[in-house]
Amino acid sequence: MARIYIFKRFERFWHWAQAALIIFMLLTGFEIHGTYALFGWEKAANLHTTAAWTLIGLWLFAIFWHFTTGEWKQYIPTTRNIIAVMKYYSVGIFTDAPHPFRATQLSKHNPLQRLAYLVVKLFINPLIWVSGLLYLYYNDLTASKIAGVAGLKLGSIALVHTAAAFMMLAFLIGHLYLSTTGHTPLAHIKAMISGWEDQDEPARELTGNGAGAPAARAS
Amino acid sequence: MRTGIFMAAVLASMLLVSAAHAASDPDSAKLSKSTSDHTKFKALQQEFNSGPEVTKACLSCHTEASKQLHKTEHWKWEYRSPEGQLLGKKNVINNFCTSIRTNEAACNICHIGYGWKDDTFDFTSEVNVDCLVCHDTTGNYKKPAGLAGNVVTKAMEFPPGSGNIIKPIDLKKIAQAVGKTSRDTCGACHFYGGGGDGVKHGDMDSSLASPDQALDVHMDALGLNFACATCHMTEGHQVPGSRYAPTAQDKGDAHVRGKEYTSNPTTCQACHGQAPHKKIAKLNDHTDKVACQACHIPKFARGGVATKMSWDWSTGGKMGPDGKPLIKKDAKGHVIYTAAKGDFILGENVVPDYQWFNGKVGYTLFSDKVEKSDQPTRINHFEGSAGDGKSLIWPVKIMRGKQAFDPVNKRLAVVHTAGNDDTGYWTNFNWEKAVAVGMASIGAPFSGKVDFVTTESTWPITHMVAPAKDALRCHDCHASNGRLEKVPGIYIPGRASDHAGWLDTAGWALAALTLLGVLGHGLGRVIVSKRNK
Amino acid sequence: MTKKLSSLNVLSLCLLACSLVASAAHAADGDWKRGRVYYQKVCTECHTAKAGGPIAPNTRTMADWTKYLNTDKHAKGKEPLKMYVSREYRANIKATNKAAEKYADVPDEQLFNDVKTFMLKGAKDGDSPASCL
Repeated sequence: MARIYIFKRFERFWHWAQAALIIFMLLTGFEIHGTYALFGWEKAANLHTTAAWTLIGLWLFAIFWHFTTGEWKQYIPTTRNIIAVMKYYSVGIFTDAPHPFRATQLSKHNPLQRLAYLVVKLFINPLIWVSGLLYLYYNDLTASKIAGVAGLKLGSIALVHTAAAFMMLAFLIGHLYLSTTGHTPLAHIKAMISGWEDQDEPARELTGNGAGAPAARAS
Repeated sequence: MRTGIFMAAVLASMLLVSAAHAASDPDSAKLSKSTSDHTKFKALQQEFNSGPEVTKACLSCHTEASKQLHKTEHWKWEYRSPEGQLLGKKNVINNFCTSIRTNEAACNICHIGYGWKDDTFDFTSEVNVDCLVCHDTTGNYKKPAGLAGNVVTKAMEFPPGSGNIIKPIDLKKIAQAVGKTSRDTCGACHFYGGGGDGVKHGDMDSSLASPDQALDVHMDALGLNFACATCHMTEGHQVPGSRYAPTAQDKGDAHVRGKEYTSNPTTCQACHGQAPHKKIAKLNDHTDKVACQACHIPKFARGGVATKMSWDWSTGGKMGPDGKPLIKKDAKGHVIYTAAKGDFILGENVVPDYQWFNGKVGYTLFSDKVEKSDQPTRINHFEGSAGDGKSLIWPVKIMRGKQAFDPVNKRLAVVHTAGNDDTGYWTNFNWEKAVAVGMASIGAPFSGKVDFVTTESTWPITHMVAPAKDALRCHDCHASNGRLEKVPGIYIPGRASDHAGWLDTAGWALAALTLLGVLGHGLGRVIVSKRNK
Repeated sequence: MTKKLSSLNVLSLCLLACSLVASAAHAADGDWKRGRVYYQKVCTECHTAKAGGPIAPNTRTMADWTKYLNTDKHAKGKEPLKMYVSREYRANIKATNKAAEKYADVPDEQLFNDVKTFMLKGAKDGDSPASCL
């Protein structure tokens, strides 16, 4: 059994705090949308706003972290092995085939993850940020003299914000499920909590993305 | 013997009162805010036999008062709207008692004058201005119905032969006690609009004479104790705040002393400004679309006095088993039917309707054609829309009714209702006769036929402002089927009718498909792992 | 002071000779508006909630009220009526009663006279018969 330290302390904190905030904001957000009543509209709206500012604060730290540590490179998309990974999740996983990707510190996400997280970071998140802030400051917008933003309708802003929320929800469902696809159902989740990932097979040649040698250590 | 004891008791009470006065005399007595003690004025130290005699005495000092009043709507009952319609009580029709025409002796007891009983009333007369109806402080000044606004100084039987004795009032005492206007004086008419307590407005009734804080946070008798004029700041007898040209939106700042303003001083903003919510600033984001009143007057007719919500004249004229005009009351003892007036629906603690309002009110007048149809004739209607930049969402009372009209000439009917003659509907229950007299009074043609049209009128809700803790909460409007469900043209977060249906469908479908996908995938894994064991 | 008293005595004797209505009206020259508030917020409040249904000035005549007020008996004679307008009573209830709080320092006789003024004015045969509101 090999163990590898993949997720650093800040990264884990960031991940779980973000996870909690996003789930909470989906919960309050869809109440604001009018889908159900849970906290009561007023409370939901207040909590949603507070959570939004917290998340923005967290993101600012995370962005800083990504750039100062070079971790941003983890999200550079690659097509290498992407077919193999797709094949694994559609076929191999059922035949107990080995995962074609082996996480390393320098390359902790498989090509599909890279792509998915990149979409979240560069598309869904900004969509939520921008539409959310416009939503929050709608009155100041309409009062502003900037024709472009002043002409924005609250309905259109809400539409974009809601669409982005649905995308986030779909991502969350997929992400939650995929977290159970490690060598045991809880393996990935444990790794995300402790930072250490168990690797029960010796690293193989195809694991790297050209980013370095296999880092697994024998234990 | 009993009388003797009683007299002794009265004497005792006299002594008691004099003692009380002595005790409270110099030190504890409050400083008088007025520089005048009207009991000391020679002009008022006389017995008055009529209202105009009092006015004459008033004018001997207040020389310009009547001239000022002659310029007011309170006197003229006539108003030319910016759109050119000739309005005012003299000219409009309503769906309560419908019109003052031919009914002046009854209706015009609420005119601030003496003797307007028909078209011959002299609007230039200074002594016909009634000072006391607004400046009485005793609460005892009375203008009995049927006397065209005149007062009674000697006990009289009215209507003659009815056995009903009208008690005289003491004009001298009332005149010597004059003071500022109060909720009681303004209320003497404005609480009773539409023919009775609370009937017309819904946000004004006698419960506001001495309200508690829950009923009106400003007029609270034990709190701020506002008089009407505290907001309706009057100068030279010109009272601001007419309903014929309401201020629907006020973008000005709070008025400060020393600065001159041309804007209406009665608006909420004139005191509270544009950003009144200090604790929850988000609420200030609503003031560009929602009138203050919409949230801060959660319900009207909250003071225990019911207001009329509907009035169906068409069912009038029924006689009871005893052959006398029928009267029906509800469980609370409120009259809901009279032969003279037809059926009423009353309401207490009523949730207002809400609509866009830009300050323009359109009226259906006697000269306008009306059609009998499924759509009610709008006696008046508020104009406005989400996009005109001048409208706010206002709470209103919608008064519904059925009233007489001439189906041939297609005109709303002027009905002679009040009056002890052989044509007044309230005594004779004959529509044709009553309408014939009414129509003749405005020189309108009458076919001889009377039918009924459904009507609707709209009244702004702006009094009975509740304390902040009783204001509407977010979910009252931010919800489906909330208070603003029917208000168009605005996106209200939480209101399902504003959602793009395709987005919600697509969004939930995406989530559901993702879920199905992963569940299927997971199931596959479970099956495979079981088989492998 | 003496002069005032005596003149009032003369006046009341004259009134006795005249009519009860007039005398009752004279007795009622307090601040009826303050009386109205106290009546509504203290007397009516309790009578509506606890003590057997609402009371309204216009349910009795001026003579009835005058007699009742002068008899100074409340709750079937168990306690003096004036207790309920006393400063002591107001001090007791002022934590929960805004009227008692606001008028905490008004002399007893003055406040009693205010309430009396309102009741006589609002009596069935008073100048402005007043219902419960």
